[in-house]
Amino acid sequence: MAAIGGRVLLTLALLLGACGRHDRIVVGAKNFTESDLLAEIVAQQIERRLHVPVERRLHLGGTFVCHQAILAGQIDLYVEYSGTAFTAVLKHPPVVERDSVFHQVASEYSRQFGLRWLTAFGFDNTFAILVRAADAERYGLKAISDLSRVAPRWHAGFGYEFLERADGFAGLSRVYGLHFAAPPTAMDLGLTYRALADRKVDVIAGNSTDGQIAALHLVALEDDRHYFPPYEAAPVVRAGTLERYAGLARALEELGGKISDDEMRRLNAAADVEHRDIRTIAHEWLEAHVP
Amino acid sequence: MNLLSFYSRNSAELLGLTWQHVYLVVVSTGAAIVVGVPLGIALTRRPAWRAPVLGLANVFQTIPSLALLGFLIPFFGIGAWTAITALILYALLPIIRNTYTGIAGVDPAVREAGRGMGMTDGELLRLVELPLAAGVILAGIRVATVVSVGVATIGAAIGAGGLGVYIFRGVATVDDTLIMAGALPAALLALAADAVLGIAQRRLAWQR
Repeated sequence: MAAIGGRVLLTLALLLGACGRHDRIVVGAKNFTESDLLAEIVAQQIERRLHVPVERRLHLGGTFVCHQAILAGQIDLYVEYSGTAFTAVLKHPPVVERDSVFHQVASEYSRQFGLRWLTAFGFDNTFAILVRAADAERYGLKAISDLSRVAPRWHAGFGYEFLERADGFAGLSRVYGLHFAAPPTAMDLGLTYRALADRKVDVIAGNSTDGQIAALHLVALEDDRHYFPPYEAAPVVRAGTLERYAGLARALEELGGKISDDEMRRLNAAADVEHRDIRTIAHEWLEAHVP
Repeated sequence: MNLLSFYSRNSAELLGLTWQHVYLVVVSTGAAIVVGVPLGIALTRRPAWRAPVLGLANVFQTIPSLALLGFLIPFFGIGAWTAITALILYALLPIIRNTYTGIAGVDPAVREAGRGMGMTDGELLRLVELPLAAGVILAGIRVATVVSVGVATIGAAIGAGGLGVYIFRGVATVDDTLIMAGALPAALLALAADAVLGIAQRRLAWQR
């Protein structure tokens, strides 16, 4: 299904893009809030620094569609995650060496695809083990390894992806020696947040930069044994585009390291919890942080 | 074939999930009959209740299933009972409406004849109205059951198990075989339920 949808979108993109474009930069994004937000920030940064028209192709079908579109030249850049590129695009087995992932991905992309990874934004959107803030305080939970003390009395609810993935629950319980009162309940990812907030489960696995974390008074436990692979977000740009627009790399490098995990969570919450327009959020963030 | 080898490797799990699925459907549809048929009968006696009761049952039907499960979590927690509650709410409308329509559709002359023979309201219901409306009521139960088989797959979103587990797993890992592994037996269950209740309906019509 996703693949067929991807092909249809791609065909559309090819048809639309066939009308030749030399005087504008096309920014793509995947189909979730964070990706749209980062694309909008990148787009506005290009507009204010280079004064070049930027076309937005947001909310595309996912990693596959964005990757095919950038290879075909239908988009010039989009924001990708190092861990996703490593496993989903380059098809490597789940990582062992955390620190080398970004460099390895960057050099393989450059060699195989002619695509450049610029400096990462600074945050890491990986799996996050979440508990209620009140529980974290009462039981003194700071890191995932603290969880093994209370786990035998607790219930966990996990999304299907987390239960199925090689870098998901199976490895986590092995690395941290977690044994819950009952096997984890398999649930829809979105509903796990609700079940945790309503005290129907005690631990869930969410996304570390999710806006809901603060809104529902949850905390993410630190991955103190570095089990989860890094998912650092960075702009991926066609080499040709970087050559054509001299100031582009410099403009985008200005964004490097500027968004912490907390900051990304706050931005996502502004869009998902407060339902604010992403153009406004991106504009305000740029004014405040990249003067 | 991929799917067959998947089944042969996971036959125990498939059986377990199918059983859970049937359990969700049977318990919820059973409860919906116990609540819905008397409610439908009551509507024929109290016409003023008709619009609000059918309206409410209609509203439940329009709530997307994932949203309904979300609303129910604070009250019923996670697991089979929340899924069953949601399935009951979905099954109520066709059962209540068909019970009401079936009884309201009984020929007034037949009802008058019963009264003329000195039947009480209870006897009239038991001996005249319900037997004559049975076919229509069963048609409502048939629709409710088939819909429940489909909707029960969403129970996997709150840990209720059932064949939806394969579907959710397959969607999460972009695995078509896994999605089919859940969707195919669910569709077969729906067809089987429809066929069995269809036979019952024809028997009923034939007896009269």
